[in-house]
Amino acid sequence: MDNNSKKKAEFRVLKNGPLQVTGNFTLKCSEGKVIDTKEMIFLCRCGGSANKPFCDGSHRRVGLRD
Amino acid sequence: MDPNERKYANKEITVHWKPSTCIHATTCYRELIEVFNPRNRPWINMDGASTERIIDIVRKCPTDALTYEWNEDGKVSEKPPESGLSKGSRLEEAKDQPAEIRIMKNGPYVVEGDFTIIGSDGQGLKQMLMISFCRCGASEEMPFCDGSHRIENFTNSCD
Ligand code: SF4
Ligand code: FES
Ligand code: FES
Repeated sequence: MDNNSKKKAEFRVLKNGPLQVTGNFTLKCSEGKVIDTKEMIFLCRCGGSANKPFCDGSHRRVGLRD
Repeated sequence: MDPNERKYANKEITVHWKPSTCIHATTCYRELIEVFNPRNRPWINMDGASTERIIDIVRKCPTDALTYEWNEDGKVSEKPPESGLSKGSRLEEAKDQPAEIRIMKNGPYVVEGDFTIIGSDGQGLKQMLMISFCRCGASEEMPFCDGSHRIENFTNSCD
């Protein structure tokens, strides 16, 4: 799928869990380094993942509460 | 007008802060903690640096949460000035742009561009051009960053 046919980016906040991102987006570090991603990603919101910025399931252990 | 709006003045300028548009992108306090320190009350200390330095940082605020104007005859100005950023044109620019997610060092995800947000209750949230999502787990305003990452001493960077 090329960029033009991609839909507008959508951020879905999963309750007590990660942020699901789909659609047309790019992921970068503060200084500009681009991180390659799949078409759908799950970003850690709990601060506890060992695989940041992605969710690794640790939110259950950390006890993230919305 | 934002009822929570605050103003801070020195002899020369008045800085206005609109909490409702502040996305805690951390630009101001990363660059000038002597003036912008969320742990202090008031959080903006106008005696912490020169007027020029303060103006410099206010201009770098990525939203229009921070604005400033020159005091007339040394009087504190009541009205916030018009924002330097033109909302209309920025919306146009952002339209159809891919959303850019930036992973801030020791801070939130800052998102800019064209995007929608669906809350944890399944409801769509209001459309925004730029927003910051908490990634430290400590915000009291989930899913958004409220600046708590600093108090938590959250450290993570991918740079
Ligand atoms: S949005 Fe502006 S006022 Fe708010 S933290 Fe960032 S730089 Fe400071
Ligand atoms: S949200 Fe899943 S590990 Fe942090
Ligand atoms: S990242 Fe700012 S409050 Fe969590």
